[in-house]
Amino acid sequence: MALKFTFHPGNVAHSGAPEVMDTIIPVCRTLGIDLFPIDDATSCGAGIIRQANDLLQITLNARTLALAESFGYDILTPCAATLGNLNEDLTKLRDDPLLLAKVNDVLLRTSNLQLKGEVNVRHILHVMVEDIGLEKIEKMVKNPMKFKIAGYYGPNMQQYGFCGEDDVYDPIYLEELISSLGGIPVDWNSRTVSVGVPGIYSEEETVLKQIASTILDAKSQGAQMIVSSCTLSHTMMDIYQGKASRITGMATNLPIIHLSEILSFAFGHHNSRLAQFRTRLAVIGD
Amino acid sequence: MADDLPLLILFGSQSGNAEDLSSKAAKEAKSFGIQATIKGMDEIKLEELSNYNRILIYCSTWGEGEMPDNAEDLWQEAQGDSAPSLSTSHFAVCSLGDSSYEFFCQSGIDWDQWFEKQGANRLVPRLDCDVEYDEPAAVFTTEALSHFAAVDSSGNYDSTKVGQEINNEESSNNIEVNDEKSEIPVSTGDGIESFLNSGDRSLSILFGSQSGNSEALASKIAKQAKSYGLEGKVYDMDGFDFNSLSSMKRVLIICSTWGEGEMPDNAEELWQFAISDSASKLDGVFYSVCALGDLSYEFFCQSGKDWDAQFEKLGATRLVSRLDCDVDYDAPAATWSLEILPALAAVDSTGLYHEEMIEEINAFVMGESSGAEGEDGFSVPSQITESVQSQITIFRYDPISASTGTDTWLCALPGNISILDVLRQLKNTQDGSLTFRDGNPDDPNTAILVNGRMILPGLVRLDSVSPIRNNLLKIRIEPLAGFDVIRDLVIDPWAAEVKRESSKPWMVAATREGENTIQGVVGTMDPLVATELHSITDYNSENILYSSSDAVPFSKEYLGPAVISKLWARRKDPRTAHSRINEIDDLLGSPIGIIAETDFSSIRRHSENGPRIAEALLESKNSALTNNGFNGRHGKHVWWYSWSVKSSGRVNDTVIYRQALGPGGLLRNLFSGVTARMIFGFTRTGGRMFNGRLGMIAPPAGIGKMPKQFNNSVKNHHQVVAIFNELDGRF
Repeated sequence: MALKFTFHPGNVAHSGAPEVMDTIIPVCRTLGIDLFPIDDATSCGAGIIRQANDLLQITLNARTLALAESFGYDILTPCAATLGNLNEDLTKLRDDPLLLAKVNDVLLRTSNLQLKGEVNVRHILHVMVEDIGLEKIEKMVKNPMKFKIAGYYGPNMQQYGFCGEDDVYDPIYLEELISSLGGIPVDWNSRTVSVGVPGIYSEEETVLKQIASTILDAKSQGAQMIVSSCTLSHTMMDIYQGKASRITGMATNLPIIHLSEILSFAFGHHNSRLAQFRTRLAVIGD
Repeated sequence: MADDLPLLILFGSQSGNAEDLSSKAAKEAKSFGIQATIKGMDEIKLEELSNYNRILIYCSTWGEGEMPDNAEDLWQEAQGDSAPSLSTSHFAVCSLGDSSYEFFCQSGIDWDQWFEKQGANRLVPRLDCDVEYDEPAAVFTTEALSHFAAVDSSGNYDSTKVGQEINNEESSNNIEVNDEKSEIPVSTGDGIESFLNSGDRSLSILFGSQSGNSEALASKIAKQAKSYGLEGKVYDMDGFDFNSLSSMKRVLIICSTWGEGEMPDNAEELWQFAISDSASKLDGVFYSVCALGDLSYEFFCQSGKDWDAQFEKLGATRLVSRLDCDVDYDAPAATWSLEILPALAAVDSTGLYHEEMIEEINAFVMGESSGAEGEDGFSVPSQITESVQSQITIFRYDPISASTGTDTWLCALPGNISILDVLRQLKNTQDGSLTFRDGNPDDPNTAILVNGRMILPGLVRLDSVSPIRNNLLKIRIEPLAGFDVIRDLVIDPWAAEVKRESSKPWMVAATREGENTIQGVVGTMDPLVATELHSITDYNSENILYSSSDAVPFSKEYLGPAVISKLWARRKDPRTAHSRINEIDDLLGSPIGIIAETDFSSIRRHSENGPRIAEALLESKNSALTNNGFNGRHGKHVWWYSWSVKSSGRVNDTVIYRQALGPGGLLRNLFSGVTARMIFGFTRTGGRMFNGRLGMIAPPAGIGKMPKQFNNSVKNHHQVVAIFNELDGRF
């Protein structure tokens, strides 16, 4: 029986990373996951809107959660930051009945919606490990990813109650998944640290150092690439890695790809992209 | 248990790595009750292989898939017609190699196939190790040995016994921890019991004490000695007849040091006799010394060292190395007593020392013990816990040579001991130079980082610090990030302290009204406000909170969450003077204030109260941004992000990018490679060149990974606008 989820792609998949949508759709089809896009869903706020008005971000996300509840399916997202933000607000609403009542009052008047708090928000990584199973995934692999791969979790997802049965501080799901895809997971320390996404415009130098430190850690452990389960962090590590190199004076060149991309490659979708990616690794390693 | 079957560990080694692994495996085999024989492949003849039912092979690969030199002859012999049948043998192969070579791990593969061809039973799949072989090989070895242990004395393999009967008492590098044990084979046979209760079982404990600590410790150990069948008798050194020692078999010296390395008053006379010519020889005496001292003195534990050396000089036999204790002597002394008492108990009534009986004595004592006698007469129940096979990697830094690195220990430890106790054990038994902050369990200065988790090591059990996977707990212990490291795990909190001081954390109170009481006017505070203020600063270690921000290590000036949470509590405190509130607002909104925090999620995930503190910091940021009128890059980022979501329900990166960075920032990104990576990103992942029609009309928008310039609105966008209008009319 197919797994059914409502789908929130996150900010990045919508704007700067079309490859996420290109790859997540066929991957879910292969895995037998039916996705129901929430056309009304707004940005998760990425922790930015709440800096202006916490209640505003909570209410916007409550609206998205209520829309998912009306479908009757949990939310699936490929972005760890989206998962973190939606779950953070959902937790606040579940823990505080007065807040839930206040938000529902606004939702009722503005959107004719009510949130019960019964919906859950899941990351594709957790669904693959916990719902589908690594053995099954291993059998689906057509192109083994025979690379040394550093799996990046980021801090948004690695919070109590947000990361399924995985450990908050010493997770293993991504490494197990990489192994199932035929890859060699790299053991590295920075896989759960922040690369400072919310501070990129104001604290650019700090953020660039965070990015450089994270990439260098992966490189020093022999990684040929980083696979990011956070599409927002991916943008930082990928787009800004050249600038991070200039600021720090260190060689931070390393391919960063989305989790959905490597899944798509492994499952035999986008073979020409995989071919180009292999060439990129072999020729420039960047 | 296959304890009467030899395990052959066979190595083919060129550089010594395979041999090294073989040695480690042989040590670890003991903990599975397996006796192992190690042989190089040039030390055995092919036909001898059939003498072994269990064979564990470590073999490296050389050159173009060739056997290492010491394996070449055996391999050639194996290719002949006289290769023996190994149908009753069980084997496992660990292959070492380098994946950058074409014939990766070829030698191991060859041996694996050869053993299979000869009819041997492969117990675990072959492991092919790359150059970083330590960790996978350790896991493989543990797994392989657990399978070998399931081979019975007839050579039959019973898979249901895999993982059973593991004796976790002894680690691969002989760390012994005896606080609480489980799964130790308990011998309740009459033999050991009668051994512990027959003949002369006297133990003489001499104390030299100035303040009473040595005396108290001597009494404690004398009580403890009963469990080991020893009759402990405590002697004051003052007035003790030194020459009576020569007729004693078991002696403990517990002695403090006074002044500049001097003996305590009650020991001085005995010491003078001991170093005189009149002192008798102590040939038949088994002894150990516990020295109490204070590290801040130059002649640390000198008295104990003197006694230790003199006993040795007089011919006594030291059973356990001297323990030198700092002022916090309780824990190390307790550990030492658990090591020395079974050793002393293994000295029989004729004065012979039976080292081989120590394990059995320990097992007997632990198995029979119903609980330790507390000082107050209550019986403390024994705590039974699983031993945990642990791989402990610790960050090391030597300031003298300015060198960094890690040390790794493989050991079996009781799961219920704290991480702080683990560090103490390693320091006491493995490496005395290991440096960490010791203290009470809740001492905030002891904080360290274990597998990415910041903890007070005295409050976290070994078996709960991180998940145990494949029967192995792998932990990596590091100093907290964001601080300078003094040595190993010891950080210098000075940088954080300077920031705290510069923030003027003290209360500057406003004049306010209070309640009239018989003691005069007393200020009051609403309980809800008091609770909220307390929750903002409710954390167990400032160092942990400081380090929980992932921005701190990269932003030297940033005050950090520990300072800011306190400032914010002051800011919200109704007793604070208005002038001070204005100062705090200025500081929070400054470049070193809360604006410098790049991501609250890293703070939120650390410590139990992380979510509450992250929320308070968020409030402070909201306050700072509002006070600054959402000006500056950060303010503009937040403002235009929110604005773009109101406009379409989605983020418009292009608008934020332009508004937050301004023309200068855009230009810099154009030349710094950021824009280029966005435009040419599609070539690196093989994605589409054009992301939309804009790519044709107004490039670079719409090319590669350049974000969209215009967003389509989400469905029912008017609902989003209505929410914004309802909750925040500023946008």
